[in-house]
Amino acid sequence: MNIKELIALINQMQSDGIIERYAIGGAVGATFYLEPIATLDVDIFVTFKPETGKAIVSLQPVFDYLKARGCAMRGEYIVIAGWPVQFLPPTSRLVEEALRDAVTMDVEGTSARVFTAEHLAAIALQTGPAKDKARPLQFIEAGALDAERFQAIVARHGLSDARKRFEEQFLSDAS
Amino acid sequence: MRFDLEKMLESKRALRRELAARPLADKLRMLDALRERVLTIRAAKPAPDAGALREQPPPCGKSDKQA
Repeated sequence: MNIKELIALINQMQSDGIIERYAIGGAVGATFYLEPIATLDVDIFVTFKPETGKAIVSLQPVFDYLKARGCAMRGEYIVIAGWPVQFLPPTSRLVEEALRDAVTMDVEGTSARVFTAEHLAAIALQTGPAKDKARPLQFIEAGALDAERFQAIVARHGLSDARKRFEEQFLSDAS
Repeated sequence: MRFDLEKMLESKRALRRELAARPLADKLRMLDALRERVLTIRAAKPAPDAGALREQPPPCGKSDKQA
């Protein structure tokens, strides 16, 4: 089980032209900014080079590529280096922007594309399941958020109400 | 022994800060180890009560895998 191996294989898949760009999200993405967060899977957001005449994005080339390299399918996951991985095309403008603005980080010589802290917090605000609702709080407590950038993302994607609800729920002592 | 809650909370915050500041490769190795522990604990614990309250899955076509 080794996330670094997993990242190296995703990089190779990008170099081989199977995906256009990728970024790590979810708990693994958050771990690049916070303390390690226990999780059972890895969320990789991907975009593809647009193909003329094809309106529907298929993940089949990704699965074929990885299966040819010994990775096994397990339900909706594909297991890479012992980790179940979900490949997720962007389903909102916020995620499209997060993918575009993702940053490259160095992990002992292996580069990794990761959502920015501000986008990870905004995505958690927008669609995070209950277990992730407090994630923006973790970023705030860790001092990992650029408040101005975060506020701009919140405003740009109509998340002001979600932010207000979050503040009422988690930051009411501070007001 | 005295239980100073504020002091305990501060020490937890300090530990989290210290972990967050570790090199990325160290933190990713910790994720690998944490996942193995979670799987071990899951395998050891009894099956959940059928009546237990759980988070509902998102409606069809609306993924919750966004963060």
